[in-house]
Amino acid sequence: MFKELDPILHSQLRLAVVSLLISVKEAEFTFIKEKTGATAGNLSVQLGKLKDAGYIDVTKQFKDNYPLTLCKISKKGVEAFEEYVNALQSYMKPNTDSKD
Amino acid sequence: MQDKELSHQESLALINTMINKAKDSFHSTGVGAMMWGVVVAICALVKLAEIHFRFRLPFDINLLSVVALVPQIILSIRERKKKRAVSYDDAFIGPVWMGFGICLFLLIFIINMMFDGYGPVYREYIQLAGHKPVFQFQEFILPLFLMLYGLPTFITGVGSKFKPMLLGGIICWVSCIIAVFTEVRIDFMLTAFSALTAWFIPGLLMEKEYRRYKKNEGSTDV
Repeated sequence: MFKELDPILHSQLRLAVVSLLISVKEAEFTFIKEKTGATAGNLSVQLGKLKDAGYIDVTKQFKDNYPLTLCKISKKGVEAFEEYVNALQSYMKPNTDSKD
Repeated sequence: MQDKELSHQESLALINTMINKAKDSFHSTGVGAMMWGVVVAICALVKLAEIHFRFRLPFDINLLSVVALVPQIILSIRERKKKRAVSYDDAFIGPVWMGFGICLFLLIFIINMMFDGYGPVYREYIQLAGHKPVFQFQEFILPLFLMLYGLPTFITGVGSKFKPMLLGGIICWVSCIIAVFTEVRIDFMLTAFSALTAWFIPGLLMEKEYRRYKKNEGSTDV
C-alpha cells in the first residue's frame, strides 16, 4: 500500500522551505525569501505552520538594531522530510510495490 | 512561489532544485587564502634570501604573519556579517582553522622553548669541538610547520569537496617528507611552494568562482 504523503510538507512553498533548510545549518528569513521567491507575508504564514508542526525552530533576535529571524530544521522536521521523500519514491517505483 | 499542491514528480523536482540552490549559495571569497599564501611564501623567500645572501633584516620577517592577522580579522567579520545562511561546511571548517591557529602558536612557543634550552648546549659544543654538530635541530623545524599546514588544508579540501585544497594539503605533506632530508634553504623553497599551491592558487580559484556567482546572483528564481 502507498504511504500517505505528509500534508504539511505536500505544499509547494513549505516543501521548498524544508528542502532548503535541510541543506543548511540555519538560514535567515531573507535568505529563504530570496531562494524561494515567495512574498514576505506568505512565507511568514508558511513558516508559522512549519513551526507549529514542530518541523522547524524559529529564533528571533536583533542584528545591527534590525530584527533578524533565523530558521533551522528540527529533528522532527528531518524525520518528516525523510519519510516524505521515501513515500514519494515508493510512488515512483514500478507497480510491483503496490501489490501488498 | 505559491502555496499550491504538487504532483509527485513536481515535488521531487522541487526538492532537487532547492537543495541545489542552497548548495550554490555558499561561495567564500578567496582573498583570505590568497593573502596567507602570499604572506607565508614571502616570509619563506625572505628568510631564504637572508641565508643565501648573508644579510639580516632589522626585523623578523615572520612578524608579517602577525600583521596579516589584522586584515584577516576584518575580512572574517565582514564575511560573517554578509552571510545570511550557515552551511554545515562553515560550521566545522571555522573551528578547524581556529584550531590550526592555536596549534601554530603552540608549535612556535614549543620551538622557542627548545631553542632556549638547546642554544647554550649548541654554542658550548662548537667551542669544545671546534665545529658545528652533525645533527642540526633547526633543519627539522620547517617540516613540522609543513606537516601542520597540510592538516587544515586537507580537511577543508575533503570537507568542502574542493580538490585544489585537497591537493594543496597533500603537497604540504609531500614537501614535509622531502624537507626532512634537505637543507634549510631547500626547506624554505618548499615552504614557499607549498604556501602558493595550498592557499594562493585555491584562493585564486575560489575568488574567481565567488565573482562569477556574485555576477549571476539574483538572475535565477524557482
